[in-house]
Amino acid sequence: MLVKKRMTRDPVTVSPAQSLADALRLTRARRIRHLPVVLDGEVVGIVSDRDVRLAMPSPLTESDDRRVAFLEGTAISAIMRGDVATIGGNDTVEDAAKLMRRRRIGALPVVDAHGRLLGIITESDVLDAFVEILGPPGQSSRIEVALPDRPGELARAMRVIGEEQGVNVCSLMVPPAAAGERRMAIVQVGTIDPRPVIEALESAGFEVGWPSLETDLRLGGGA
Amino acid sequence: MAVAGDGPAAGGWRVSRVSAALVWDPAVIGYKFRPDHPFNPRRLELTLSLIEALGLVDEKHARVVAPRMATEAELLAVHSREYVEAVKRFSAGGDASDAHRWGLGTDDTPIFAGMHEVTSLVTGGSIRAAELVMSGQVKRAFNVCGGLHHAHRDRASGFCVYSDLAAAIAWIRREHGGRVLYIDYDAHHGDGPQGIFYEDPDVMTLSLHESGRYLFPGTGFVDELGEGDGYGYSLNVPLEPFTEDDSWLDIHRKLIPEVMEAYRPDVVVLQSGCDGHALDPLTHLRATTRLAEETTRIVCEAADAVCGGRVVATGGGGYAVWEVVPRAWTLVWAALSGQEVPSRIPREWLERWQGEAPVLLPEMLRDRDEDHKPVPRRDEITATNRRTLESLRRQALPLIRGYGLGF
Repeated sequence: MLVKKRMTRDPVTVSPAQSLADALRLTRARRIRHLPVVLDGEVVGIVSDRDVRLAMPSPLTESDDRRVAFLEGTAISAIMRGDVATIGGNDTVEDAAKLMRRRRIGALPVVDAHGRLLGIITESDVLDAFVEILGPPGQSSRIEVALPDRPGELARAMRVIGEEQGVNVCSLMVPPAAAGERRMAIVQVGTIDPRPVIEALESAGFEVGWPSLETDLRLGGGA
Repeated sequence: MAVAGDGPAAGGWRVSRVSAALVWDPAVIGYKFRPDHPFNPRRLELTLSLIEALGLVDEKHARVVAPRMATEAELLAVHSREYVEAVKRFSAGGDASDAHRWGLGTDDTPIFAGMHEVTSLVTGGSIRAAELVMSGQVKRAFNVCGGLHHAHRDRASGFCVYSDLAAAIAWIRREHGGRVLYIDYDAHHGDGPQGIFYEDPDVMTLSLHESGRYLFPGTGFVDELGEGDGYGYSLNVPLEPFTEDDSWLDIHRKLIPEVMEAYRPDVVVLQSGCDGHALDPLTHLRATTRLAEETTRIVCEAADAVCGGRVVATGGGGYAVWEVVPRAWTLVWAALSGQEVPSRIPREWLERWQGEAPVLLPEMLRDRDEDHKPVPRRDEITATNRRTLESLRRQALPLIRGYGLGF
């Protein structure tokens, strides 16, 4: 999944010369947290609502009037982060997630080869993508198939479901496991009655998990 | 034999006769996919024969009324023309190379000759039930072969070709206006009616079902609240696998009257799938026959308080064909029509069917406590279900127009 598919295009931006008051107003009015700072089309910084709040004098020491005056009289360039982490539109959402985690930040401006702003991708966009990938792909039942760590096991399981049983595999996830350990494939099968599929998988030697009071494969290992 | 008139019933409910109609025509058993298919019309024959054996139909208060065919316009009110044309073509044996596009020709929902006609009769049965109730001829009606709650506007799914439920709701809306509350306690999420009325605030859908985390169709989570004008008018309670009567009924008792009071519908359309029973092979819920009987009473009592008692009920899922479905739906019918039922199944009914049954038929109409194997993780399941209910109440109830204003 590419960043350009999940980013917000034409994000709200500010210029370095605008005031902190402008920045705060924009984040409130548009219900956003991050503002790329752009000069001549190029990203030169980023500022968040939190950055502005942290820069503000404390209400315990300063009057409201003076706080307002501070916000109006201070340029964004004074507090923005200049060393901005950016990402390309053709990078993957995983790249974006890793970069945000490594730098401990919540948003990345998306830029082209010339550093021009294309969009912005935030933690929320990454979470939405994650939820969408994990979410059920339309009408299907979920089963879990334990795959021994051997070449051909996934293909064999899919042949049982797709070819032998003629049931559509609507989505498939195989989270990684340690070498030598079996992996738990999460399979969404396009049927209201997965019993024949489960029986066929079991008679082909696979352990299959779905809700059971006796054995709960999910608790035994894997995802 | 059934006893007419007032009297105490199991669970301390007072039973009093209510005019009701059972919509039935033997022709509906033609809604049949394959001899070994789980959606087996034999369950309907067994139900009708048990209702008759118990004397729960008569010429006066609890009549049997024939269904009619749904008209093309009634189908097109809830399905796309392209979809209906495709079903007609497959039904007549025409080219089926594009069947998968319409959700047909699958193991779940295979094509069969005459499927358009017989599904039109099933659909017309639910519309007939709505006509009988809305015209005031009866207070409640039960189309036992209806309840095809996975059919979508332009796609068949999960044993369902046309949406008899949505067609009946659309008929009520067109002929009478007003608001319709759709309640669905089939073990599977009622995704068909929810999807068709997702943006419509005049139709509220409430589905209580086993969580879609594992179970088909994989939807029906609390955050599916509707869209646009219909935001707040789709309610879902996904239950934990292995939920039992007490936890499930506790939610029905709290939520159904509350939603009825808040929404104040003019009629309730009730899908009474009985596949949440512990013996059902397709799901992981652990209800007994008590769920069907008491839920019907909870719904009827709330309807009496809010909308003149009007309830249009249908069947739905139910795959323990011999041991569960006839008993569950007989109890539904008795509760709808306010008739008492004895505890034993008549000997002649058992003798008539035991020879064909692949299992030993139960002798009691209601499950006995000692037959129910308690679930070990009960406390955890009950607590999770309670959290789900609270999450739904917090998110959804304030979205209902006028909620909390006392009218």
